[in-house]
Amino acid sequence: MFRTEEMEINMGPQHPSTHGVLRLVLQLDGEEIKEMRPVIGYLHRGVEKLCEHRTYAMIEPLTDRLDYVAAISENLGYCGAVERLMGLEVPPRAQYIRVVLAELQRLASHLLWLGTHALDLGAMTVFFYTFRERELILDLFEAFCGARLTYNSMRIGGLYEDVPRGWFERVRHLVKIFPARMREYEDLLTVNRIFVGRTRGVGLLGAADAIAYGVSGPPLRASGVNYDVRRAHPYSSYEKFEFDVPLGQNGDTYDRYLVRMEEMRQSLRIIAQALDGMPEGPVRAKVPKYIKPPAGEVYHVVESPRGEQGFYIVSTGGEMPYRMRFRAPSFVNIQALPVICRGAMVADVVAVIGSIDVVIGDCDR
Amino acid sequence: MADEEKPQPPPAAPPAAAPPKPDPLKEPVASRAVDFLRAAMADAILDVSYFAGQAIVRVPPARLIEVMTCLRDTVDLRFDYLSNLTGMHWPKNERPFEVVYHLDSITYRHRLTVKIDLAETEEAPSVTSVWPTAGWHEREAFDLLGIRFAGHPDLRRILMPDEWQGHPLRKDYPLEGNPGDHVQYREVGTATHVYAQERPILRGFGWKKEVEKTGVGRG
Repeated sequence: MFRTEEMEINMGPQHPSTHGVLRLVLQLDGEEIKEMRPVIGYLHRGVEKLCEHRTYAMIEPLTDRLDYVAAISENLGYCGAVERLMGLEVPPRAQYIRVVLAELQRLASHLLWLGTHALDLGAMTVFFYTFRERELILDLFEAFCGARLTYNSMRIGGLYEDVPRGWFERVRHLVKIFPARMREYEDLLTVNRIFVGRTRGVGLLGAADAIAYGVSGPPLRASGVNYDVRRAHPYSSYEKFEFDVPLGQNGDTYDRYLVRMEEMRQSLRIIAQALDGMPEGPVRAKVPKYIKPPAGEVYHVVESPRGEQGFYIVSTGGEMPYRMRFRAPSFVNIQALPVICRGAMVADVVAVIGSIDVVIGDCDR
Repeated sequence: MADEEKPQPPPAAPPAAAPPKPDPLKEPVASRAVDFLRAAMADAILDVSYFAGQAIVRVPPARLIEVMTCLRDTVDLRFDYLSNLTGMHWPKNERPFEVVYHLDSITYRHRLTVKIDLAETEEAPSVTSVWPTAGWHEREAFDLLGIRFAGHPDLRRILMPDEWQGHPLRKDYPLEGNPGDHVQYREVGTATHVYAQERPILRGFGWKKEVEKTGVGRG
């Protein structure tokens, strides 16, 4: 009389909570997920091929368009990679300003994540609160480089120019008011029964699985693995700053939330230290007019808000790279989604995707 | 006696030709992994080079899995994290394809680059059994460069459409693509069955002219 069978459904590519054109093919038994196959590539623009036909200076705007939510991290990683390839030393003031920019970007990216993650789980208010502060940060970026999303904020060898007058005071003001604003979000979520009920124990990822699947960034640390590129392989003078690497215990969606919240506090700490110890001097090294790195290769890794962002550049001594590869944290983290969602309910998928914080522009390149 | 104790002035060294300046980028770096490989499996190392503080080891494809498993499991190396895997195309080389592995150790925080060279139609051994994360990286190398990985559980295209012809990151592939590389199959349903109808999508910079000339691809 009754018949039971497994059902295959598509989640995405047009789905509001997959944060872009991510498609998940779900094999369902009732509401339980038996199997999940992520399908990507809908936003593939062939940036790696384009890079082989652009000079080094022309590539930086392309990196903005990869992870468009955290473009400064991409700029920082790309410029750092080319500088290592050329053996360039970046002036200390430029390194410090880069750190301030990158940490502000981490705040802005985590705010966007927090707002949309809570929105996915039905808490709309947080979204308005986080966008209020994200606006302040975007205003700072606009004052610095004129753009609000795709910044092209750095140059190979340093920065285009020094910060405008009064900019550091505005950053200081933000650092001062931010902890109180963070308490507002935490009041709304941390002990919210609906939020905790939908995130605690949902989407478990063990430490061994996380490492084997190459997961990086906050999802890796929420599983209790103490690995942060800023600490493990410091770049742009991160070794001079004191900060803690927050770790989770259970590796569930709630821990990933807690880890990112704590990361925002640590970012504020780093910004405050960078502002206090800001060196004087030039912001750009002596760079030849035509950038022609020697033949060689470099793999440079930075900690973007989403995880380990790698840049592999192979040069044959020409003015364009021979090969460019972006190790995209979203690409690798999405690969682990089937592991995280094993045995979960359909509704939990939304919570898990939100907590992995994927950007499809980063994933598909 | 006093004469003997007098220190002799050192003989003036003949002005030697200035030695070639060492390239600071190519300076060797201390690497436990390279030392270990040299000691334990010297026959599996084809070549070791250094660039900008990185150690790059080249191994023969046949020994790859053995070397990688050893690098992952040796107690004081513990390369447990495959950070990046990608392919390269060097059309002028005798063995035109190269697969590059960037290993990282979360325990010891050191890095190593491993490379293998492949002939035109040679298959690379898949390292998905060593690090599951290699799965998508290898699919991408297959998709964009056409490198095949033996033992991969699910070697399909990942970024390009499934019906794409050719491999875009190869050096002989034009930037604007080859017209006809992408044939879209439109599913046309009838009451009894579904069949695929071929519809070429014109690409490249000349597509507007082509559309005007032939009318194919309009709309």
